[in-house]
Amino acid sequence: MRKVLLILGLFLGVNCFSQNKQILYNLTSVPQSLMTNPGADFKYKYYFGVPLLSGMSFKVGTTGFSAYDLFANDGVDFNQKLRNVVYSTTRRDHVAVNEQIEIFNGGIKLGDWLENKGYLSFGLYQEFDLWSYMPKDLAILALDGNQNYIGKTFNLSDLNVKAEMVSVLHVGYHKNVSEKFIVGGRAKVYFSSFNATSTNNSGSIITRPSNTTMYEQEINSDMRLNTSGISKYIADDYDGDVATDVRKQLLLGGDLGLGFDLGFTYYPKKNTQITASILDVGFIRHTKDVENFTYRGYYKYEGINPNFTDNNNPDGVYSDFKEAVKLDTLYNKYTTWRPVKLNASYQYSYGTPSDDDCVCITADKRYKNAVGAQLFVMSTPRMPITALTGFYQIFLTNSKSKQLTRWIPILTRM
Amino acid sequence: MKTYLNRLIGFVLLIGCGFSCSSDLDFDQANDLKLKPTYIGNFSYFNVPATAFVGDDGSQLDLAFDDQEFDVFRDEYLSDYLQRADFYFEINNTINRAFTLTIVLMTENDEALTTIQFVVPAYTGTSNTITRTEVFENARLDLLKSARKMGFLIAIAPGPALNKNSTGNLILRSNATAYLEIQ
Repeated sequence: MRKVLLILGLFLGVNCFSQNKQILYNLTSVPQSLMTNPGADFKYKYYFGVPLLSGMSFKVGTTGFSAYDLFANDGVDFNQKLRNVVYSTTRRDHVAVNEQIEIFNGGIKLGDWLENKGYLSFGLYQEFDLWSYMPKDLAILALDGNQNYIGKTFNLSDLNVKAEMVSVLHVGYHKNVSEKFIVGGRAKVYFSSFNATSTNNSGSIITRPSNTTMYEQEINSDMRLNTSGISKYIADDYDGDVATDVRKQLLLGGDLGLGFDLGFTYYPKKNTQITASILDVGFIRHTKDVENFTYRGYYKYEGINPNFTDNNNPDGVYSDFKEAVKLDTLYNKYTTWRPVKLNASYQYSYGTPSDDDCVCITADKRYKNAVGAQLFVMSTPRMPITALTGFYQIFLTNSKSKQLTRWIPILTRM
Repeated sequence: MKTYLNRLIGFVLLIGCGFSCSSDLDFDQANDLKLKPTYIGNFSYFNVPATAFVGDDGSQLDLAFDDQEFDVFRDEYLSDYLQRADFYFEINNTINRAFTLTIVLMTENDEALTTIQFVVPAYTGTSNTITRTEVFENARLDLLKSARKMGFLIAIAPGPALNKNSTGNLILRSNATAYLEIQ
């Protein structure tokens, strides 16, 4: 019966992990948890990941709508579903894609087993990130136009998107300062193979009734897209193979950046644990293959209006508009900041195993149950996103080598 | 007993969070994307006072003409996507003379492609606004797309001559509604 429950638990546990990667936080039975807290309570002598296999994650997250809303095979016209999604979301909803592959990852305890000289970890991973807020006003303008929106200000800052591919080389150090306090830190070198950032846009498009011309129509635009590493792919004469070329510049190429992770674990009492970590405090300086596209200017459109008393014909409205609101390409270096992640947890353990259940020595005694909460905060181009997860933890087996821990999210708020 | 109760609670919670569902999704639907926005904007406007039809020597000018660049269809995307255009005109005359307003869409070489004409009655003290919507579709839309100039001709109908003391205005307000289809 116990085996059946274990298998069932394992299956369900994997299911839980696949839905929330941050649940790895403080799950110290998995070495990768050191990546989410360099100061985790970690007791391995050494570990090495299987290159390219032991750490692989792909996550697509949306708020306000789901893939089903858009791609359900239900016979409803896709354009109608797209319209429903656009109208049911707000500019605060977002799409986030994150992919991470561990190229290699390892760690080794320094000194002899009984010595407390700390723990060294190192590795290289590749990460792809895409973040986009719902460009609601622009989507409405593209889907339906302005006909039914006289008087509405279409906000150009709704366009807020960034995408990047980085490789991260890291070296970390972890030390038990005392029995109650464990700290760790990690230095990171970022290699950005490509980046596209358009997160500081502003401006508006408005059409409102007027007493003279039919409408008062204005566009005020200050938009900018910074790119690095992609100019050759978007050039008109590019005829290479994107997949091959991207692979070439994937690792240890492109722009350089620096960053760090810090974390700690503290036991104010034996059965109370407090942990926290801050990850990816760092920047990347984009200097190679940089292109900035700007769309700036102000134009008031009044129509094609004759002047019967002045024969000087001005330029056409299209020429005027292109002159007033210009699309320019610049080549200025720029800096991007990595999305900073903050994790923190509080855990209260209880239920000392009885002799019936546990064949363990006194010093190795573990609590059977734990309850707690975990906070996750990540910076985004606008407001940080937060998630609060409550959990209940139970040890299903008692053998130390086969300990199986399950975390159960009870409440998550984003 | 307490131990088993704890386990039971644990497993019930596990099972609760472990359930997930899969759905029948078809990502190829994205190929069906077809945007059909409708944009509305100013088309043309003028406000001509009665005195504008009087020359420096005080005599009446029977015609007023101006042509303007009409270059919106130099934008090849707009030209490709436009399926239909409606022009709504609103003319208000408060001059006690009748007019004929002719709007001509022309090629680069001043060849007339299509003409829109309005007969505007004289003002007699009551509201004198005329409205009309011109629809451009199919062959007429193609003519519109090849237009590069727009001419405005105002001809005064016979009647008592206007002078520098004449009052009233001839006002044109109009908008364009563009129906686009982007695929």
